[in-house]
Amino acid sequence: MKMKYRSKKGAERASLVAIHAILIIISVIWLIPFLLMIILSFRGETVGTSADYIFPKQWSFNNYIKLFTETKFLRWYGNTLLVSVAVTIFQTIIILATSYALSRLRFKMRKPLMNVMLVLGMFPGFLSMTAVYFVLKEINLTQNLLGLILVYSASSAMQYYICKGFFDTISKSLDEAARIDGASRHTVFIKIILPLAKPIIIYTVLSAFIAPWGEYMFSSFIMLGDPDQFTVAVGMKSWLDNSSLMSDGYFAVFCASAVVVSIPITALFIWLQRYYVEGITGGSVKG
Amino acid sequence: MNLEYLKMSPLEKFWYNFKGFFKRLPSAFAAFFKAIPKKLKKFWLAFVGIFVNIGAAAKEGDWKTRTSFAVMGFGLICRKQVLRGILYLFFEVLFVLYMVFFGWKYLAKMGSLGEVAVVTGKDPLTGITTYTYYDNSLLILLYSLLTLFVIAAFVYMWYHNVKGNYLSQQFQEARLHLPSVKDDIHSYADENYHKTLLSIPMLGLVIFTILPIFFMVFIAFTNYDKAHMPPSELFQWVGFENFVNVLGGGISANSKVFAFTFTEVLLWTVVWAFFATFSNYILGMIVAILINKKGVRCKKLWRTILVMTIAIPQFVSLMFMSQLLADQGLINNLMLKWGWIDKPIPFLTDGTLSRVMIIIINMWIGIPYTMLICTGILMNIPQDLYESARMDGAGPIRAYMKITLPYMLHVTAPYLITQFIGNLNNFNVIFLLSGGNPPLDMSGVPTGAGKTDLLITWLYKLTVTESQYGVASVIGIFTFVIVAVLSLILYNRSKSVKNEEEFM
Amino acid sequence: MADVTLTHIYKVYPNGTKAVKDFNMQIQDKEFIVFVGPSGCGKSTTLRMIAGLEDISAGELKIGDLIVNDMEPKDRDIAMVFQNYALYPHMTVYENIAFGLRLRKLSKDEIHRKVVEAANILGITEYLNKKPKEMSGGQRQRVALGRAIVREPKVMLLDEPLSNLDAKLRTQMRAEIGKLHSKLQTTFIYVTHDQVEAMTMGTRIVVMKDGLVQQIDTPKNLYNYPGNKFVAGFIGTPQMNFFEGTLLKKGDDVQIKFEYTDAEITVPYSMLYKAKLSYLDGNSVVYIGLRPEDISLASGDVKNNKAVVKVVVSHKEDLGSETLVYGDINPNGDGYVESSTRIIIKDNSGRELKAGDVVEAALNINRVHLFDKKTEESVLPRVPEYNYLDCEISKGKIKFLGAEIRLPASVNAEDLKGELLLPTDAVTLDGDLQAEVVSCEEINGVYLLSLTLGGKRLYAVLPEPVDAKTVGIGIDFKKITVTACGENKIVPMPEVNAFPCKFVKKKICERVEVNGKTKKKKSVQFGLTVADAFYGVADETAQKIFTALGIKNAYAANLRLECGIDRIAVAESGIAAEAVQTLDYGKEKYLKCKVGDSFIYVKTEAEYTGNICLLPDFEHVGIVEIEREIKII
Repeated sequence: MKMKYRSKKGAERASLVAIHAILIIISVIWLIPFLLMIILSFRGETVGTSADYIFPKQWSFNNYIKLFTETKFLRWYGNTLLVSVAVTIFQTIIILATSYALSRLRFKMRKPLMNVMLVLGMFPGFLSMTAVYFVLKEINLTQNLLGLILVYSASSAMQYYICKGFFDTISKSLDEAARIDGASRHTVFIKIILPLAKPIIIYTVLSAFIAPWGEYMFSSFIMLGDPDQFTVAVGMKSWLDNSSLMSDGYFAVFCASAVVVSIPITALFIWLQRYYVEGITGGSVKG
Repeated sequence: MNLEYLKMSPLEKFWYNFKGFFKRLPSAFAAFFKAIPKKLKKFWLAFVGIFVNIGAAAKEGDWKTRTSFAVMGFGLICRKQVLRGILYLFFEVLFVLYMVFFGWKYLAKMGSLGEVAVVTGKDPLTGITTYTYYDNSLLILLYSLLTLFVIAAFVYMWYHNVKGNYLSQQFQEARLHLPSVKDDIHSYADENYHKTLLSIPMLGLVIFTILPIFFMVFIAFTNYDKAHMPPSELFQWVGFENFVNVLGGGISANSKVFAFTFTEVLLWTVVWAFFATFSNYILGMIVAILINKKGVRCKKLWRTILVMTIAIPQFVSLMFMSQLLADQGLINNLMLKWGWIDKPIPFLTDGTLSRVMIIIINMWIGIPYTMLICTGILMNIPQDLYESARMDGAGPIRAYMKITLPYMLHVTAPYLITQFIGNLNNFNVIFLLSGGNPPLDMSGVPTGAGKTDLLITWLYKLTVTESQYGVASVIGIFTFVIVAVLSLILYNRSKSVKNEEEFM
Repeated sequence: MADVTLTHIYKVYPNGTKAVKDFNMQIQDKEFIVFVGPSGCGKSTTLRMIAGLEDISAGELKIGDLIVNDMEPKDRDIAMVFQNYALYPHMTVYENIAFGLRLRKLSKDEIHRKVVEAANILGITEYLNKKPKEMSGGQRQRVALGRAIVREPKVMLLDEPLSNLDAKLRTQMRAEIGKLHSKLQTTFIYVTHDQVEAMTMGTRIVVMKDGLVQQIDTPKNLYNYPGNKFVAGFIGTPQMNFFEGTLLKKGDDVQIKFEYTDAEITVPYSMLYKAKLSYLDGNSVVYIGLRPEDISLASGDVKNNKAVVKVVVSHKEDLGSETLVYGDINPNGDGYVESSTRIIIKDNSGRELKAGDVVEAALNINRVHLFDKKTEESVLPRVPEYNYLDCEISKGKIKFLGAEIRLPASVNAEDLKGELLLPTDAVTLDGDLQAEVVSCEEINGVYLLSLTLGGKRLYAVLPEPVDAKTVGIGIDFKKITVTACGENKIVPMPEVNAFPCKFVKKKICERVEVNGKTKKKKSVQFGLTVADAFYGVADETAQKIFTALGIKNAYAANLRLECGIDRIAVAESGIAAEAVQTLDYGKEKYLKCKVGDSFIYVKTEAEYTGNICLLPDFEHVGIVEIEREIKII
């Protein structure tokens, strides 16, 4: 019996070692591209697209300096940050309000509204771009950050799904207790539901904040032809599409800009990871 | 459920359900069609009800109520429901102003979409050709559509105004308490709170989503393309021509190519969505299980490393990857230098290889996300399920197949469906990685689409680079219908799963 | 600190399910009312309707003097304790308790004083700064109670507050809630599915099933006088034994024969005076209910008792102080499964028994309950509705219990021998028949008079107590039924007339003098159309109809007007009717009229013939919505 016990323990240990090995391999696979990106951003020499080595022959900060002095990157960065912050505020408010209404209030059009939004969400968004463009043009908001903010925020109601799912998990008797205590539905929302929805608020804020950094379709269309109003995604893509720039060693500058874009968001993400996970598991699961 | 069913093997069960499905199909269809008259009747009654209500208000209403047929909110103002009355009136004034100064012009031209696009002339002094633009079909279509929306909204408000005025009259007659202005304001934080919360989100949705969708649907019936480009040219209504073209029934050679491309792209889109979703899902779950296994050290570290991929903006990593994997990219160059290969591997330029690569890179992006979600849920799986499984002699793989996977599928069904739909419309991954390349040919004839193009990226090309708006709209409508039907089926199925009280 | 009155309360869901049907109750100030019943019986729904968390489909709910049907919960001045406590997790205990007070904008000092006081009462002062998460179930429940009492509500509502606690804590909290009730002197309404909780806490208990109130009574009366089989089975543990059997009257005894076995016992007929005669024919099957504690295995009891049955013991449960013996009165029966021969006995005799033993069990026949097999209503109601008597009619006189009365002229029947169904409220005290008073007891607000007439028992229900030894009784002949040979020879006059009607409004134009000028003043009069004639109703009535049916549906609904036969009179104008016959009951006269196809009865002084008009007294009518069968007034 003793032998068997030991062998079981041995097998467990072996499997643990194997798991650790797998995890290390996975981590390496996941990290390599980023490390590569960081390394390449320090390349001091100008090589076209035909570089066949990893480590720079000359380590330097030149690419970063170039990024902030020669290019419009700083401007794009500012644009994107502005849009992100504004969209975060609007989108969070809209999503929270919609989700609360759909989760907690009972009105005649509730079910149809939910279904309509669900179906609308499946529509290929950019097909509506032409129309959106001309609507924006009519109110003079093309090639304008405000227009972009409007476009990003306007349809946020459709993303109610996860947030509503989270609200649904909050016990209804809390609402009822509060209403008997003398609260109106508005007070219930502000004083009871919102304080309990911290994870989902953080999730919503984080998703809203990140989205404009990676969105290409709408921003390229709306900002077409005015590099001053580009967001980082549009701007960086414009480098890649310009082969003369690429052969001029702009790939390293691209890497540098990628690093600059990634660092703050990654930091934010790692900091708020816990809430993000709570929010999404609470919301998407029971939904 | 009968007892016979319980003793069947999985295969037999499947066959049983399969047969049952087709056996039930006729009756299900019959039930569906039987329900139609009832539904129609219900709809008809609701429709008639509108006119009955209006008629009742006209017949039974006093002069205040009747006046509000023309002057909205009049009766309400007279009955001390000033706030609501003024809002109605304000809306009416706005509507009239809109129609007179803006809407009417466009609506009148909706039938023809404009007659004169541009008049060229010579400036008599300088001799420079001048262009005077008149009708812009695009704007006419868009704004007349907007006007239709506004009219619909007005009719709706008007009907509510009539009903509301009559109701307040009835309230007054019944000597029931009529809500005062103060009550009204309070009700917007309480009984009517949903109106407060939803009005702005809905307005945004209507203007920036619903209106454009209608616009696009209308575009599908026009010949809006490169040759008919406002403002220098007009475009016209062409009926179902675009639809016929896309389905391959058109006269032009292009039509056959469209039909071919459409099927090819659609097929790849579905294949892509399936693989992209499930590879991420299953592998992500496995990674989560590995990290969360008892005895694994530095859990937080592993998780953080993976989470970084979510945090770094997708477009950055995707563009970076596309650069690395390009034919003259770093990876090919390195391998050439080390002599591993003779010529560059066409990672993103060969049809099949690029498809595989895209799915793999998508895994690299998507697995951490699934891992995060699964981590939370895995902790919630009741441990006694595993314990009883171990008692019954199940090993880890069996336990995974019989407990973990079914449980996860059960719990995360909505997430999985959202992912699937998201992948059907996954623009970023394809566009930024391969740009849809390599080109897709139909026996030598270029189609304009690429082998890795999804419906959505193909549409992007059709509109942004080729300006084939009419055809693109048709494909957009098809895409929409396919995605909507697929996901509605999936949602309904998962709802039936959800209704089962407990997992087991 | 208020009465709660529920009148014809209904809860009907959009799909037509009726969760609560015609709930009527008057809850007095400071009462402790318990709603009890199995899950899905509508008890929680009723409570939530009182709280304002569910809409009331029809009926009227009053708290104090206010009709609160359409009031928001916050304006009803009530407090509620939830099953899952519903404490706000992000607030400390102090903030939880203070939340309601803050919303009511009390001053800081006052809030503090009240919170501390409530915490003192409940002994949670030391936890005031903790979050609910850090507390045990019992403590959380106390906080929930604290949150409720701090506002000093008129009514406290408790929705299964103890069901999440373990058994020991539950007993303790039960006592504490009882203490709280006597301290606060407030009306408590408590919902539970646990009959023990109900019995120990309530001053009165409402037993519900399938949305219907089964019985409202004090715990003692529920236990001793269950009105139907459901209540009998629901109250008391272990459950009451139910056997099936037949009753056969043999002289002054009644033989009770058990079905599915040959056991039988004999009881004196005096016990079954209240039972309908048809039950005693030896054929109709009834349920025989007997509580486990009313069956004894002690040898002393068995020896001196005529009602003894043989029991095959199947198994037993030792509870220490007593033993539950499970057995079957059918020798082949299985004492494990609930059946109509299974018997559970609470045995204190300490006899050692083992499976298969056959023992004799003595039944305490004084505590036998009998229920109709079909309706499950008690065969021996506490307040009997009818006296069941043999009678003989000859030459216009009716003979029963050795007495003889002349039938009034309007009741004409041929000579016959049959059964007289004499409602207990048809026995009046203004007649000539001398009867001896045996007892007079108050039961739920009425007085049940037990009389002896010709050596037999006669019951009368009166609104006032009677002190005399003998009384002269008479009979209200319009309420009696006489049957012979299975046929109704004399039928009672219906007590309520019903007319189909609609709710309408009518515009009126009056001329009013204002400052010497005549002005037209338009107004609207609401009323009912009965048989094409319009009758105005009071605004209050109209409003009740509006609240029950909604302002839009009120005019479309089909209604039924119900008015008592003494609430309608012959008048100059009104519902057209044809006088058919005048019925003379000696002291009173009634007119039988024909309206449409149905007959209407009207109390009258004079005699009429031909076409007349009838006018109901609209202050005292009932209105029922026909489609959902909901009583509006």
